[in-house]
Amino acid sequence: MSDEIKTSPPTPPTAEPGAGRTTTPIWIVLLLLVLLFLGGLYFDEHGGWFSAQVYAPYVSTDEVELYQPKSGAAAALARGKVVYDQVCGICHGPDGLGKPGQAPPLAGSEWVNAKGFDRLAHIPLAGLNGHLTVAGKDWNMSMAAMGAALPDADLAAVLSYIRNSWGNKGSAVTEDDIHKLRATLGAHPQPMSGDQMKTMPE
Amino acid sequence: MKCGLPVIFAVIVALGASWIGLVIAPALQLGTLKETTVLNTTDVYPPQRTGAATLGLQAYRANGCAACHTEQVRQDGVTCEVVLTDAGKNPSAVTNLLTALTLTGLTKDQAEAVSGKITAAGGKVETHIVPIGSDLDHGWGVRRSVAEDFLYDNPVQLGGLRAGPDLANIGLRSPDANWHLLHLYAPRSVNTDSKMPSFRYLFTVQKIGAAPSPDALNLPAAFAPPAGFEVVPKPEARQLAAYLLSLRANVPVYDAPFTPPAKP
Amino acid sequence: MTANETSHPTASAPEIDASCRVPLLALLVGAAVWLVLGTALALIASIKFHAPDFLAECPALTYGRVAAAANDALVYGFCLPAALAVSLWIFSRLSQTVFTLPVVPVVAAHLWHLGVFVGLASILLGHSTGFTWLEFPRSASILLLVAFGLIAVSIVATFGFRLERTLHPAHWFLLAALLWFPWSYTSANIFLVAMPVRGVAQAVIDLWFGNNLLWVWFSLAGLGIGFYFISKLTGRALNSYYYALLVFATLILFGTWCGIPVGSPFPAWIPTLGSVAAALLVVPVLGVAAIVARTLCGVSGPIGGPLCYFQFAFSAFILSALMLITLACPQFSRVLEFTWFGQAQVQLQIFGFLAMILFGALYYILPLALGHDFPFPKLTRAHFWLSGIGVVLLVLPLAVGGYLQGTHLYKIEAALPALRVSTLGLFLLLAGNLLFAVNVLAMFLNWKLALAKTIFAAVTAPLKASEVKP
Repeated sequence: MSDEIKTSPPTPPTAEPGAGRTTTPIWIVLLLLVLLFLGGLYFDEHGGWFSAQVYAPYVSTDEVELYQPKSGAAAALARGKVVYDQVCGICHGPDGLGKPGQAPPLAGSEWVNAKGFDRLAHIPLAGLNGHLTVAGKDWNMSMAAMGAALPDADLAAVLSYIRNSWGNKGSAVTEDDIHKLRATLGAHPQPMSGDQMKTMPE
Repeated sequence: MKCGLPVIFAVIVALGASWIGLVIAPALQLGTLKETTVLNTTDVYPPQRTGAATLGLQAYRANGCAACHTEQVRQDGVTCEVVLTDAGKNPSAVTNLLTALTLTGLTKDQAEAVSGKITAAGGKVETHIVPIGSDLDHGWGVRRSVAEDFLYDNPVQLGGLRAGPDLANIGLRSPDANWHLLHLYAPRSVNTDSKMPSFRYLFTVQKIGAAPSPDALNLPAAFAPPAGFEVVPKPEARQLAAYLLSLRANVPVYDAPFTPPAKP
Repeated sequence: MTANETSHPTASAPEIDASCRVPLLALLVGAAVWLVLGTALALIASIKFHAPDFLAECPALTYGRVAAAANDALVYGFCLPAALAVSLWIFSRLSQTVFTLPVVPVVAAHLWHLGVFVGLASILLGHSTGFTWLEFPRSASILLLVAFGLIAVSIVATFGFRLERTLHPAHWFLLAALLWFPWSYTSANIFLVAMPVRGVAQAVIDLWFGNNLLWVWFSLAGLGIGFYFISKLTGRALNSYYYALLVFATLILFGTWCGIPVGSPFPAWIPTLGSVAAALLVVPVLGVAAIVARTLCGVSGPIGGPLCYFQFAFSAFILSALMLITLACPQFSRVLEFTWFGQAQVQLQIFGFLAMILFGALYYILPLALGHDFPFPKLTRAHFWLSGIGVVLLVLPLAVGGYLQGTHLYKIEAALPALRVSTLGLFLLLAGNLLFAVNVLAMFLNWKLALAKTIFAAVTAPLKASEVKP
């Protein structure tokens, strides 16, 4: 056996090591309690209280709710497209080109691209009845007030969508605008013709 | 202590607590997650992967891609940005006001205050939610990754080391399947400093037949096979490319909101 | 005399050691082979990082597969069976009886090594499950579980027949380890492989298991063995019982919740609990430091002797724990997460802590169990130096490289010089581990040869008159 490394000092059978009970570690127990307290505070602040919807950097469900974007321009346009496809597109076409004998085009229409949107908004709210000139062509149809039953936000969204699609460049219409317009128009506005609408402000 | 039972009991209590807390609770809370919707729309999120992409996930697993790539984007915070949409009837007053105000990097309260001031001057504003973080600055995503992003993955390959870039949105950064195939066959042909291994065994080098195959890779000279041969991807390589193309998470959801850019 | 003493009389130390001989060899020969293979695979993986075209034609050696196989070979092939081998000797010695049912661990050892072989082959052939530390497919996992269960049962049986009834702190740590691995391994395999949970919960459970294996189980086994040996080798009592109790309680209460990276795509409560638990780990780390400092105060052994292994290992444990705590702090994890810093901590835990504890223990136990010293005793000292320097050269550059990687937007070029140094460290570790394997295999062959000679002598001995039929 090599005497360089003492790998096996002789041990009698009862000399297995034991553990002394000399020192009681008070300081480390106090440290543990302090850390537990601080840890609890940290979890209270950052843990989101076990909610499945709270991800860092948010710390509570209230904060997540607070930072939800209200319908921004893009969201409104997306909503507007949905509403258009369900309500307007059937007659005016998915590409806004209209259908001859059925509905005038919205793409390139001067009514859509006007600076103000009061006249445009009047059409879904009150309906159309009589002659209307769109892009040089005369249309003599009637349209029911397709937007009368829509909520303010949806009507605003679809009008914004129409004014910003297929090459149209118009400002967006907000929920508040529609709300005010509905108030001025009253409960049962009458459908107008193109000439009658020209007397209204834009 | 003279008996082993207190030890066993303590072990069951202590280790069992973490078993319940980090195995059972997430299995119940996250393992029963349903699909969510993209914010302010009715679109379901996440969309189902195609069949090829689902097989590609298995190729990703089999080749240990998660050893070098993560698929998780982090976020450090969230700010608000106030954007003018309509200058209103008195544009000069509004413009003067804007020069005096900070419009970016605001908290929600600050944003409300700024919006109030501008609206009082006659302008119309929108508040945009903008996530911030080093991963986001790096271009690896527009928001943090959340549980819904991995709803249909089996196995979930989050990864733990970023030897290569994060792949959570690689389908948006590199939407071309041919680029991915080139990159898998010869990483250093598209990025000279890359330390990614070449996955040549996912491709076949075959003799050019009557006409070159339409699937043959268009390799630069240094990496091209000998004259008369072409490199054609095996199905596994295509599936892996399809999987990589399907990795995208750029829509806002309730858990990670942000204001998406307006469509042009 | 108690009932135990009649059925299991007090055995002398040589008798106890002799009873452990065959189980030890069965577990350790395979473990030594996996150790060398695992270190070699890790070296290949490390080289591929700065020379990606090294062995690039072979699909089985692509980085993703070979790195996973290397880690699993080291942990499941070497660390677990070697720790079980040392545990069974410690339990036998502390019980002061011979080992109960030595055939059980021998059978289990063969099942275990078969399971590891099947698992590693599956990984290299592309059939890994995709979960870190759980890459072995179902067939291999079941073999490992059955084998572990058998060994645990035989150790607990020996514990049940003990004559010295007072428990040593090593008992607590090792009993906890014997219970915790089957529970966590079965759980993880059921929720991830057998009946996978949906979505990102898989990642939570995978991270939980990885932490419970690499941090909790390694600490329980390593500290249990370490606390036994530092008092055994110095002849002093462990200082103290209450520190050890505090370390044990806080380790199992808090250590099991760590391991979740702060930026993970989980609801905030999961990483927050992980961070709080990691901060609380300061208590067991200080406890371990206090125990080791108090017990080893003023003691010095021969340089390169068994005590040096334990001193190195405890220092590595404390550093590894501090690295784990650092990673869990949100301020630091922003830079260090998903870098080589985390890998450095894992390698330190494997090579620097548990492997060194096991080498120190085995260099003490094996000569006793086989009744003679190592065939090449000088190699044990060389192994210490190679391992020690190798660990430093492996872990320190990886940690520094990780920091550089994190501060340079995860560009690998920033960390490349450091990675090259870490490859050198792994090369030294491979050399050292080869020396260990040489000694173990030489002992095994000597034993087999001696056994063969005994049988040959018995068979060819001249017949006695009483044996011949008239």
